[in-house]
Amino acid sequence: MGVTVLQQYPVPENKTGTYVIDLLTKRILALGATQAGQFLVDCESYLSHPTMGSTKTVHILHNSEQPASVFSILESGTKNIHVIADGLFDLLMMKLSQHYTSKKQTKIESKGPKFELGDFCIKLGSVTMNQNFKGILIEVEYRPCVMANAVWGLLREFLQGILGSTISVQPPQHLLSRMNEIYTPIDTIYQYLEHFSAYRKITGLRSA
Amino acid sequence: MSVNAPPITATDSLSQALKANIIPNQEYLLQGSVLDSAVEVLLHRLRGLCDNVDAGPETFDDQEVCFSLRDPNQQAAPLMLRVRKALDARDMPFQLRYIGQPDLGDKNRPTVVRSSLDIACSGMLIEFLNELGCRIEFEYSVKGYMFRKGRMKITVAKVFKISQSSMPPEPISQSYLVELSVLAPQGQDAIGEDMRAFADQLRPLVQLDKIDYKRLGHMSPA
Repeated sequence: MGVTVLQQYPVPENKTGTYVIDLLTKRILALGATQAGQFLVDCESYLSHPTMGSTKTVHILHNSEQPASVFSILESGTKNIHVIADGLFDLLMMKLSQHYTSKKQTKIESKGPKFELGDFCIKLGSVTMNQNFKGILIEVEYRPCVMANAVWGLLREFLQGILGSTISVQPPQHLLSRMNEIYTPIDTIYQYLEHFSAYRKITGLRSA
Repeated sequence: MSVNAPPITATDSLSQALKANIIPNQEYLLQGSVLDSAVEVLLHRLRGLCDNVDAGPETFDDQEVCFSLRDPNQQAAPLMLRVRKALDARDMPFQLRYIGQPDLGDKNRPTVVRSSLDIACSGMLIEFLNELGCRIEFEYSVKGYMFRKGRMKITVAKVFKISQSSMPPEPISQSYLVELSVLAPQGQDAIGEDMRAFADQLRPLVQLDKIDYKRLGHMSPA
């Protein structure tokens, strides 16, 4: 597990998501990468019952890279509190169905191919909410290093190399305060949640 | 499965596990107690009967906090969640437990059966539960010995009040709580008979039984 940066990739107006993923796949393979399976990150959000006072949201995320874990982030006002649990946490959420109801229509996921290129791992994810295509998220991980500050320059250069210079690459909001901390899987989950929340706010359909 | 097959979603793998009935979500339980003065004899007996005897009995020292989450419609009993933390192994994860209403059944049923979810958690679990809307009901620490016999777990432990100062924790009674339990998937009722047979071997040192909390008055009924 190394430092991971999640980056949105714009899909041009007249192009489909599949076309862009194919294009990026070719570009990465041309660099000498090998495909290493598929990945999937999903997120379901639960809202507290109106009689429980101020609205709280529990986001439940899964990442195929950590298949035995359930990541849960509780959003309450400005505070985010996370818990990393084993798979049975999903069953507990069912027990809480009186208190927290799932907003099924906002179930969102990012999935697609995963590539390895030297010390880097690249994932090209198509984001779909309720089967509707929303956009593309690219995840790049530099595996030998666990501190964002030490590797940010390298990651930016690498991303710029595959994405092209037209796309500005900034450190993810979540990492800004954690540049000198040890990177852990929950940091990737926070980045996904940031992007998923942004996608949920965008209305309108895109062609996949 | 080919390397490039899409990964199975968490929801799918959970529903598969539910369908195959492999999730240990039932707890079969017998409880009893033994006076401090008699505990040594019971421990000796358990050492003779149980599996993990070579290395001596395993000790534990846990703190448990019990939370309740009120039903928003005020119709059902509050949901109880328990958090356990090992005081003697601080880097171990929290154990989060949901325990349903105990079902005592008729007198032919050998043990109490209650639904149970045992979840290992790391992170900020206490803050998480507080923000979730849970309220702390009570807390205590429990210190003692753990034995295994096949799938059965036997604990002999003393319950202490949580001390606010640096004073040593105060025991709540002059006895040890003895519990015999198995976590198993639904429908494995045969284990109850095994537990009853094992409990019989511990007589008369300790009498393990189906304890009805409602009758004890320790827990208010729903």
